[in-house]
Amino acid sequence: MTESILVNIDDKEVAVPKGTLVVDAAKRVDNDIPVFCYHPKLDPVGMCRMCLVEVGTPLRDKETGEMMFEENGQPTINWMPNLQTACTMVVSDGMCIRTTTSQVTRARKDVVEFLLTSHPLDCPVCDKGGECPLQNLTMSHGSSESRFLLEEKMNIEKHVPLGDLIFLDRERCIQCARCTRFQDELVGDSVIGFDERGRSLQIITHSDPGFDSYFSGNTTDICPVGALTTTDFRFGARPWELAHTPSVCPHCPVGCNLHINTRRSGQDGNWSIKRVMPRQNEQVNEIWICDKGRFGHHFVNNSDRLTAPMVRRHGELVETSWDVALGLVSEKLQSSNGSIAGIAGERLSNEDLFAFRNLIQVNEGSVSQWPGLLGGGDLVQKVGVGVDTDLAKLGSDTAILVIASDLSEEAPLWWFKVRQAATKLGASLDKSRAALIVANARETKLDKIAKYCVRYNYGDEVRTILALSHAVSDGNTGIMGSIAANDNDDVIAAAKAISAAKNLIIIYGGEGQSYAASNALAQACSNLLIAKGNVGKKDNGLIPVWTHCNTQGAWDMGVKPAGVSATEFVADADVILLAGADPVGDGEPLPENSFVVVSELFKTKTAISADVVLPAQAFVEREGSYTTGDRRVQRFYPALPCSENVLPDWEIFQRIANEMGVGDVSAGPAAVMRQISLQVPQYRDISYENLAAVEEQWPDIGGEDSYYGGTGFQNTGGLGVQTLSLIESGFSVSPGDVDPIGLATGELLGVPVTVLYDRGSTFVKSEIMNSRISDPYIEINVGDALTHNVTDGDMVSLILNGKERELIARVSNDVPQGAVLIPRSMDGPMLRGVVPVNINTIDHGSKE
Amino acid sequence: MSSNTANQTLRTRYSAEVKDILKRYPDDQKRSAVMPLLFLSQKEGLQATVSVMSEIAQILDISITQVASIVGFYTLYYSHSGGKNRIQICTDLPCALRGADDFADKVCEKLGVKLGETTEDGEFTVESVMCLAACDKAPMFQVQNGDGITYHERQTISDVQAVIEQLGNAEIDKSPEGAE
Ligand code: SF4
Ligand code: SF4
Ligand code: FES
Ligand code: FES
Repeated sequence: MTESILVNIDDKEVAVPKGTLVVDAAKRVDNDIPVFCYHPKLDPVGMCRMCLVEVGTPLRDKETGEMMFEENGQPTINWMPNLQTACTMVVSDGMCIRTTTSQVTRARKDVVEFLLTSHPLDCPVCDKGGECPLQNLTMSHGSSESRFLLEEKMNIEKHVPLGDLIFLDRERCIQCARCTRFQDELVGDSVIGFDERGRSLQIITHSDPGFDSYFSGNTTDICPVGALTTTDFRFGARPWELAHTPSVCPHCPVGCNLHINTRRSGQDGNWSIKRVMPRQNEQVNEIWICDKGRFGHHFVNNSDRLTAPMVRRHGELVETSWDVALGLVSEKLQSSNGSIAGIAGERLSNEDLFAFRNLIQVNEGSVSQWPGLLGGGDLVQKVGVGVDTDLAKLGSDTAILVIASDLSEEAPLWWFKVRQAATKLGASLDKSRAALIVANARETKLDKIAKYCVRYNYGDEVRTILALSHAVSDGNTGIMGSIAANDNDDVIAAAKAISAAKNLIIIYGGEGQSYAASNALAQACSNLLIAKGNVGKKDNGLIPVWTHCNTQGAWDMGVKPAGVSATEFVADADVILLAGADPVGDGEPLPENSFVVVSELFKTKTAISADVVLPAQAFVEREGSYTTGDRRVQRFYPALPCSENVLPDWEIFQRIANEMGVGDVSAGPAAVMRQISLQVPQYRDISYENLAAVEEQWPDIGGEDSYYGGTGFQNTGGLGVQTLSLIESGFSVSPGDVDPIGLATGELLGVPVTVLYDRGSTFVKSEIMNSRISDPYIEINVGDALTHNVTDGDMVSLILNGKERELIARVSNDVPQGAVLIPRSMDGPMLRGVVPVNINTIDHGSKE
Repeated sequence: MSSNTANQTLRTRYSAEVKDILKRYPDDQKRSAVMPLLFLSQKEGLQATVSVMSEIAQILDISITQVASIVGFYTLYYSHSGGKNRIQICTDLPCALRGADDFADKVCEKLGVKLGETTEDGEFTVESVMCLAACDKAPMFQVQNGDGITYHERQTISDVQAVIEQLGNAEIDKSPEGAE
């Protein structure tokens, strides 16, 4: 623990850790010193002067060094002659601070007056109006008159697109540099900056596309004026007309806490989502979300949504009632004699997955996870990262190993937090940095800040871990000799760092992985963790970078990957039940003569060809819970009303079971969770009540004073609860066998990789992202491109899963020779591992 | 975007100079070379165009926006075209107190341009700039051209005229007090 220091603020004593800034110390006693440029997550710069206060320190006798005292026994205070900026002044023992004197009041008034000399004060048409720090602080500290001339206001551009997502109003900017510092310090994408100086200072971007960063939306939350706004919310609503709902992001395994703002239209009376904002949860997403989470919500009100149950009659899907549809399904299930296959998507909630598995199991069918690309969920249950680990806070006693993952694409907020741990840029008091080791077949964005980079060939992931284990254990485990990679020195250096660290976290991803390969990788990682004793405690253990938001929940609910394609999995089943899964669309057809039941949001290819289609509610229309990759169960709440003809998945399956006489319909999702807690051991302590519990978060953001932390929201919906790993629950876990699977061979190998902006059905429907979402493409090495006569931008064809596909080729130095990177969820067939490919150019030079 | 066809002007034309500049900074702090590289890029009347800035960004592994911010901040650098000689008059506060604004107006008048403009023959651009660290010798200006930078301190309008005549053959008004 850092030393604690006693300071006096407006005659109130407060003890704060050494190194605390005056502004934060004041915040601890609810004394809100006004700020513009200061932000509790960023390094202070002292640019705006709004936070001026009087500061004094106890006087000491020059000779003896003894404290001096007044007659009344109080220490004599030596008040500094000038006001000090509370945002840059670090507290010292016995420091006295005054924030209410006339000198301070006067200074605040003057600073506001100066700021307003350039500011347009167009609050009535400004998106920030109503939650604007400048507006609020002007009301509380400013003067109602200005001594400056109206004609001398700045008259500059008001609608500057900094790219497709963020707009800049140059007149409104008060030059606080919060946005640029956020990008520089916390994200490392220095794609916005200041041009000019003095009164002409302006935000610019030169990146292509403009403001090219996955985190750009956050700058609109922390901009203390309406200078930065999102294309999504711009002129969309006034903050005070919005309704508020806590939610959880459905796009990746991080599970960022969201706050959804909805509004009822005055014209048609329909509710719609106006914006998605971050909801503070320091251990998960702090006060940030990535742009996919912020802008990728438009699928919800897409016209492709299913609105009524349908059954196939004379070859056509026709709308019908729930009773008819469910009656038909239960009849089919009953007569199938257990020849039933169930496939449930990793995007369903825990309640849905639980009800789904129960329905299939009472009917003696088998279930599998969709798409179920990766393995190791059982190992995560055993040796997953310790409860209460905060990735961003890890320090020099911890090594973080990231393997087979382009983390910034697969789990942006984890990338963000790992970056904090490795750089400790921004406002953290503790500047000790974790040792970051990144092992991948190619360079990723994390390499730049990694202490050690280990490069291997695709297929050598497991061998790399074994080699590391071997080096860590001085030759007792693993097979150092067999690592094909060229960089054994790097392996040894990384192993040294792992040996030296007290804590170890291994984050394994899905790049180039098949189910079997990733199973082996997870096992090898677990073995290393177990061998080194880095399990069962905070800041230690395994983190899977799942491909979906509730993959871990699926494992926990007993819905596991089958390890084969959907086509193979369902081969002999008479009745096939699918929920949130579109194998047909992903190139895995279903047998023609089986009876196919689909519960879905959209008219997917699978739904169109099914026998019964059941319309399901989207996550914003209902309650439920997801479990993150680090095993945090989190609740989301209904934000939008939904037609009564569309049901939540759990209810659909429970109604089928009920119809068949093999189960009851729960009163609600909370009741389903109660059943889960009785049947799933890790969830025994979980209830909707404790998922909704909140604790005070620091820094205190989202309260009345939006000027302190921005417009992110306070957490009122619950911080979620992390399930204990088996080892934390007192079970012993021993290492398991690892068999590195054989390498695929071929001159060119197609490698499945994950990109954030994919063409998945829940993302591609957000039109504002369209310019950022690429047409289907592959990426190929410069040398290989030359050999195969491919130039950058060519249309090429390749055969994937027996089907010919046409895609754009990107030629790049960053792709290893012999590899063809094939992004997942790009309208193409599901790639379940590395496969040999052949490339043919069909159209040269669609670019330049 | 994925092909690496960035501009190579600096690296081909001034390869020795670029190497020499980079040598002065430790490898992990090469971004500090941004200022000398920008200055180098302005030799021979070049300017910090977007393509030059992006080349410098690439050499130093920083973003082009970061380079542009430096260009925007310092009046030493310019991203827009101008005359062969840039007459950069300091009009910052101390100089202003000694009549720099008035002086600048006179220089402009002499050359028949406004601040920021270039003479028709392309010889001179007159600019007002921030403190050049000669506050006690105002009015002052610097001339920036292919030969580098020269300082001219404690100037009168006839001093300026001499400098202008020496540097270029611009059509200027030769009357000692400028046009009335
Ligand atoms: S755009 Fe907003 S956050 Fe950025 S400098 Fe201007 S006022 Fe500050
Ligand atoms: S990091 Fe993941 S969970 Fe967080 S907002 Fe982005 S996609 Fe959603
Ligand atoms: S100077 Fe302290 S908040 Fe800006
Ligand atoms: S103010 Fe002109 S040189 Fe300093």
